[in-house]
Amino acid sequence: MTFDAAQRDELRRKFAEFAETRSPKTRDELIEAHLGLAEYLARRFSNRGEPLDDLTQVASVGLLKAVDRFDPERGVEFSTYATHTIVGELKRHFRDKGWAVRAPRRMQELYLRLGRIVSTLSQELGRSPTIPELATEAQVSEEEVLEALEAGQAYRFASLDAPSPGEDDGDTLSAQLGEEDSGMLDAEHRVALSPLLAQLPMREQVILHLRFFEGLTQSGIAERLGISQMHVSRLLARSLAQLRSAAEAT
Amino acid sequence: MATQDEVRDEVRLAVPATPEFLRLARITASGLASRMGFSYNEVEDLRLAIDELCFVLIGSRGRSGTVHIRYAVRAHVLEVVGVGHFDDDQTDPMLASFSRQILSALVDDYAVYRDEEGRAAFSLVKRRQTAPDHR
Repeated sequence: MTFDAAQRDELRRKFAEFAETRSPKTRDELIEAHLGLAEYLARRFSNRGEPLDDLTQVASVGLLKAVDRFDPERGVEFSTYATHTIVGELKRHFRDKGWAVRAPRRMQELYLRLGRIVSTLSQELGRSPTIPELATEAQVSEEEVLEALEAGQAYRFASLDAPSPGEDDGDTLSAQLGEEDSGMLDAEHRVALSPLLAQLPMREQVILHLRFFEGLTQSGIAERLGISQMHVSRLLARSLAQLRSAAEAT
Repeated sequence: MATQDEVRDEVRLAVPATPEFLRLARITASGLASRMGFSYNEVEDLRLAIDELCFVLIGSRGRSGTVHIRYAVRAHVLEVVGVGHFDDDQTDPMLASFSRQILSALVDDYAVYRDEEGRAAFSLVKRRQTAPDHR
């Protein structure tokens, strides 16, 4: 993120003003002017299995703290100071999330590869493959397959707009779910579902409905919706976790 | 010859009653299920069911204490029993109706109860559908 000389002068003036007045309006302007930096830093952390939206939020909190604490008298550029604060905030976020997000890259890659293998093998065999079959196909041990499935857990809260494992890049789930499926949960079905369920995105309601009310298997749903089984698995686990926390909050 | 119903192997696990250790409960279950020749579909169901049932015991934030989990491997059946050993154990374990709906789609049998020592507990039974010659 770069500012020209005039913008930099203007920002310095605003920081000096804010140091003096603590005016909320100036504060907002300063935050606004540097949101790009927060977004940029959030993106740098976005390949670790956390949704970019969440990271941007965390980075913005860091930016807010930086604006509040920055002392223009110290002679440090704000961007330097803010980068330090924002990265600190992002790192703390990952640390607080525990080991789930620190799944080794190798396992994350295996998880993505397994997504494709599950699809291919399910079609070839005409049934859901066993873990040993997946291991043989992927040329890894059964333990590694199981470990990778767990590593996939870290992806479970990833954004729905992220490419889904085992699918071609670019096609997001929202693009894959057609109009027809969105209409599926109308009236009669909805009544049967808990009010908490109705708060979930439509596509997740559809998947939950197919799995738990229609009794389709994960692979059956994957086929029906034209998405990978791993994505179905991920969305199911995610929606159930969301429902649990929502139920707990009531 | 072992009969169908006989417990062939038994694994016991005791973990802190916090969500980050549920991972071990799931890995153990899926490891055993995989050994028994469960399909990927069935292993995934099992993992979700364990999440759902453990939530009944420890909630999403965890509790102070441990959860003891016993995995009993029979010929075609995996049985999992979890018992909470909590420092404060006031509320009865309860399943919401949606949880029951979920669990009945995921496993062949399940229960949430207090055991003979009055501890909050769950059990589940998952039967292998995949024919063993697919191993």
